[in-house]
Amino acid sequence: MSELKELLWVERFRPVRLVDLVDQEGVKVGLLEFVRRGDLPHLLFYGPPGVGKTTAALALAREFYGESWRSNVLELNASDERGIDVIREKVKEFARTVATGPVPFKLVILDEADNMTSDAQQALRRIMEMYAASTRFILLANYISGIIEPVQSRCAIFRFNPLPREAVIERLRQIAKEVGIQASEDGLEAIWETTQGDLRKAINTMQAAATISKVIDKETVYKVVGRVEFKVIDEFLENALGGRFEDSRRAMRNIMYTYGISGVELLKYIQEELLINDRFKLPIDAKVEVSELIADIDNRLVFGSDEEIQLTALIAKLAAIGSKYGFKTTQEGGAKPSEKPTTRKGTRK
Amino acid sequence: MSQRRLPWFEKYRPRSLKDVVNQEEVKKTMEDWIRRWLDGKERRALLLSGPPGTGKTTMVHALAHDYGLELYEMNASDVRTAARIREVVGKALNQGSLFGFRGKLVLFDEIDGINVKADQGGISEIVDIIKEAKVPIAMTANDPWDPKLRPLREACIVVQVKPLKNRDILEVLRRICSAERVKCDDDALKLIAESSMGDMRSAINDLQLVAETGPVTKDRVSLLSSRAHQYDMFKVVDMVLKANTVSSATAVTRLPSFDWESLMLWLTENAAVAYSSSVSALSDAYDNLSRADVLRGIMLSKQEWELMPYLLELMTAGVALVRNKPKLPFFIRGMRFPEKIRLLARTREVRETRDRVMHMLRTQLHESSSTIIRDYIPLVRILAQRDSKIINTLARALGVSEGSVKLIINPESAEGQGE
Repeated sequence: MSELKELLWVERFRPVRLVDLVDQEGVKVGLLEFVRRGDLPHLLFYGPPGVGKTTAALALAREFYGESWRSNVLELNASDERGIDVIREKVKEFARTVATGPVPFKLVILDEADNMTSDAQQALRRIMEMYAASTRFILLANYISGIIEPVQSRCAIFRFNPLPREAVIERLRQIAKEVGIQASEDGLEAIWETTQGDLRKAINTMQAAATISKVIDKETVYKVVGRVEFKVIDEFLENALGGRFEDSRRAMRNIMYTYGISGVELLKYIQEELLINDRFKLPIDAKVEVSELIADIDNRLVFGSDEEIQLTALIAKLAAIGSKYGFKTTQEGGAKPSEKPTTRKGTRK
Repeated sequence: MSQRRLPWFEKYRPRSLKDVVNQEEVKKTMEDWIRRWLDGKERRALLLSGPPGTGKTTMVHALAHDYGLELYEMNASDVRTAARIREVVGKALNQGSLFGFRGKLVLFDEIDGINVKADQGGISEIVDIIKEAKVPIAMTANDPWDPKLRPLREACIVVQVKPLKNRDILEVLRRICSAERVKCDDDALKLIAESSMGDMRSAINDLQLVAETGPVTKDRVSLLSSRAHQYDMFKVVDMVLKANTVSSATAVTRLPSFDWESLMLWLTENAAVAYSSSVSALSDAYDNLSRADVLRGIMLSKQEWELMPYLLELMTAGVALVRNKPKLPFFIRGMRFPEKIRLLARTREVRETRDRVMHMLRTQLHESSSTIIRDYIPLVRILAQRDSKIINTLARALGVSEGSVKLIINPESAEGQGE
């Protein structure tokens, strides 16, 4: 544990106490009040990634249980547990033993709760009721709209705001000082630019940049950003849009079976690369079509039963969009995207 | 070029009985039978029975050729009614032969393909036809002991055609290879011969399939033709892709061996191979496959089996009838076994290890797998590039082997090592 903590700055500098949480003043006040009273309702934390939801939940656990928090907390992730039945079994097992120490309840932290289907959330609601005497749930979600009303109404809801620029940069500056690296203003600015309010990403980016140089400036940051992202995703997209179906399918299978990225995740990457990072400089009409396509495939994935079929369909449609808008790759013969990690390239001329 | 399109089993079908390998007893029986007919000493029909691809039809053709007879051929499974059979036989009886044939020979191919119920007394009608016939009638059937053929057996001379020996098939395959100027590993040919189970046609088809899509090596043969099921799926996929109407596309769903889940996988793999030249055909085909998959998801989760017909139509007709469908060659090059199945088998170990390491990382980092893959693994990869001791540190922290850590950090190279 301690070794991993030494290795990764995100872990090493994760605030242990609620008061040390970056920003989120309103949340802190509310949670500290629960600590003072010594009791807790079910909680729902929602907000974008990397703003402190997990950190707050873990810090809250520490406030209640002190160093024995581990034995009183069950961490679950809705997207990793295979179905509501697994969650039910684990909660049942966990709730069977009484809490150690003075606190009369144990804590279940359920991450990515908004990824659960509404059927599963109905079941979750019953589980919350069934074990209400001995457990409290903290649900973590990116979007509150993804949580069904009956679950919402059983929770005290806390909204986590995107972290303001100043707070992120200040935090990065502190960390840089502690680990003994120099971070220039434009370097920190560049990290903020590429990660926005996601502190986890920001810290990871800074650590990656620190492997290249002791002085972190704009150039070093942009150098590592290309590396942090997946080249395989670009390879997949470039081949799909360029109409090289089989190459794209090979990349897709590589992503799914070798890298272990799920279909839904892959859609997120695609959306990010094509629409947000604008990696391939598609015309606006093409982006609209891509956006519709991703939404459609995402929807089909919910009902469908085979990710590979759905993603293969996605490739075929991307090829159609690519051909409609005359997508051309700069590499001749459809070679893979450049192996050079430094370039963020717009591949379309 | 047009020669290439011809199926090899057609191209190299023996024209004369003397070119038919082995089967000496059968040939002798047939020749004796036809001579007796021509001498007016025989009235019975001939029923050749035996497994597929043993040369039954070929030998009847060869017999007609050797004795200068005009052949009237009908496939009993196509011609559904006895009335129609009578019509054809009647024609054979009444029309004078052109081109100076010595006589006539009628062939009812695949007589056991006749559907007793639909053909309203089909078999007994055929028995009557045989009894009245003034021309020799030869028939072929796969299973002579099929109960519905019993009345027929009594009106016929039944000849059993045995499966061909491996060495006979091998001999023919070698001849074809040298005639086609294809370089073939002898091991590969042996394997084709063995896995054909005495079926010459499927052996030749397999050879053509392998030869026209790449080098004829043992590995490629075992991939393409060792399993009968696989071979059948090639045919089914081919039928779907080449269908031009809804009814011909959905016809495969009525095959006795039809397996819709496998077919879905196979079509997903191979539609791209067949339609690679047309973006809109590709896009239509996969759109419909994906819709079929959605129906499947709903059908399975809600147990709504009444969705099945729509699913089957979408996955067959939806793939066959697409915009700008390219013209497909006789042999679609590059058709293959679904990669997904192979990959899942090949990457099983990798995936299990990954799951184990992921589980450790999840608990220690309080993160989901997707966040770890997305936000942490790339960082660790960079850290490890600079300082390889990191791998050891991580392995100890997680209580797993260094190899497992490497696999997570660099899945592609780890997989490469495994092979």
